Amino acid sequence: MTMTAARPATAQARPAARPRRHGRRWPLYTLLAVMSLLTLGPFIAMVIVALSPRNAPTVPAQWPDSLTLDNLTQVLGASGFAEWTLNSLVYSGVSVVIILLTASMAGYAFAKKRFPGRDTMLWTFLATMMVPFQATLIPLYVLVSDFDGADTFWGLIVPTLANSQAVFLMRQFIMGLPDELFDAAKVDGASELRVYWTIVVPLTKPILATLGVFVFLWHWNDFLWPLVISQSDATRTLTVGLTVLKTEEAQWSMLMSSAAISAVPCLLVFFLLQRYLVNSIAMTGLK
Amino acid sequence: MRHRLRDPVTGLLFVLPMLVLFLIFKIFPTLGAAGMSLTNWNIGGEWSFIGADNYTRLVNDPNFWSSLRATLVYTVIYVPLVMAVSLGTALLLNSIVFMRGLFRGMLFLPYVTSFVFAGIIWRWIFEFDGLVNGVLAKLDLGPVGFMERAELVLPALAVVSCWKGFGYSMLILLAGLKAIPGSYLEAAKVDGAGPWQRFRGITLPLLKPALFFVLVIETIASFQVFDTIYVMTGGGPAKASYTLIYGIFERGFRFWEFGYAATWGMVLFAIVLVVSLIQRRFIGKENT
Repeated sequence: MTMTAARPATAQARPAARPRRHGRRWPLYTLLAVMSLLTLGPFIAMVIVALSPRNAPTVPAQWPDSLTLDNLTQVLGASGFAEWTLNSLVYSGVSVVIILLTASMAGYAFAKKRFPGRDTMLWTFLATMMVPFQATLIPLYVLVSDFDGADTFWGLIVPTLANSQAVFLMRQFIMGLPDELFDAAKVDGASELRVYWTIVVPLTKPILATLGVFVFLWHWNDFLWPLVISQSDATRTLTVGLTVLKTEEAQWSMLMSSAAISAVPCLLVFFLLQRYLVNSIAMTGLK
Repeated sequence: MRHRLRDPVTGLLFVLPMLVLFLIFKIFPTLGAAGMSLTNWNIGGEWSFIGADNYTRLVNDPNFWSSLRATLVYTVIYVPLVMAVSLGTALLLNSIVFMRGLFRGMLFLPYVTSFVFAGIIWRWIFEFDGLVNGVLAKLDLGPVGFMERAELVLPALAVVSCWKGFGYSMLILLAGLKAIPGSYLEAAKVDGAGPWQRFRGITLPLLKPALFFVLVIETIASFQVFDTIYVMTGGGPAKASYTLIYGIFERGFRFWEFGYAATWGMVLFAIVLVVSLIQRRFIGKENT
């Protein structure tokens, strides 16, 4: 609305004002370019160091004489690295599937069903958002290792599935769907599970996709929980593996190569779904 | 409406999987943390109730006070820094049209990476032969031991977290800026208000809810900093970057004193709770 109100004025002024406007904008663009360079600089430096030959003096002392892919291939073949990557994929992938299922089911019930204790549950879920994960780290670790979950995949994954942000997001979205849809399906004799699978899931696809991307990033980048619960390469994720590598490997070219490879899925997500990510943060505040 | 009332069982069944996860992995550990802080629980799993002993030990523990100090100093550096950078970039993005998406994307990029990734890159950047000292050397300055000097390590860590995290706050503030009706600013302009007056008189007051949200989120985040410290400094030098979370981790997983580590966790819980409650109070006021 405000856009349409403002538009005629700028449209009229455009022919004369354009050069002057651009003239006035250049400090803004300069500042933005500086900020962007500062933001991208570490990425560029990482790539240069990752591609520098071993033991070669590198930026900023001097630019490498030649670039090589040796570090990257060596990292990919190094013991542990492939396993860590696979573990990260399992940790993130399984979590995405289960959280999307359980959170959309819970969100549907909270949005469209009445059952005893619903509001109390909702409030409790909300209240747990105020409990920092690190404060529950110790009891969580004791609980999981008492059930022999240390260094197992279930021990790694299951405790991270209780996600109130996901439940609330799904509830908010499903509350916006018209009740008539569900009533009509019920009249047609559809079972509850069928209503969920043929109405709730298809209609919430956009928000499920957004949530899926976030859950993937949260788990791919997660560190503290995998650090304490994984004790061997069998369940170690990439983030934990990188820190192991950092204590063992003195070559920055190797460390930078490992770091670069570890970020590839995140960067893929970014380049493919940037607009999506950006819009969903602005609209939902998902972090 | 009718079918909603008809059958309470399906609702419960749909919530059940998530409810079970919550009871076991959120609510039980929360209560457990409070309980464990009253015991001398150790790695063997043996424990006895020792009342408030852990808490008396905590207030007499110089490590605890220095970690609290390090955490607060870090917060005092990080929060204004990230607020300034995210507000500055959001304002810049909001005042351009051409190439806005490109700049927004570049500035947001670090947000999708991990803190471990950020820690490794920046550890090199702050090395004696790293990027920053390389630039300083060109200016005939340095080298500066960012990771070796106690007074520089927290600012350096704050810069890393800011680099990695400001994209999120920038987007929240940018959304807030876009929600300000352009006609308000136009009207002020017609009335002869300069850019600074318009910013102070219109933009800033209308952006207050978004700014407050970002302030709370970033304050809480600053209390939870851990990954970059683990990767870059290990709590050093001389415990200068030994924060609350680092204390929980070290007490729990280096000294295996679970009861005492849980006590450190309760302090973090209390701090985050207070900040969250302040947020709730203020946001409640905004809405009424």
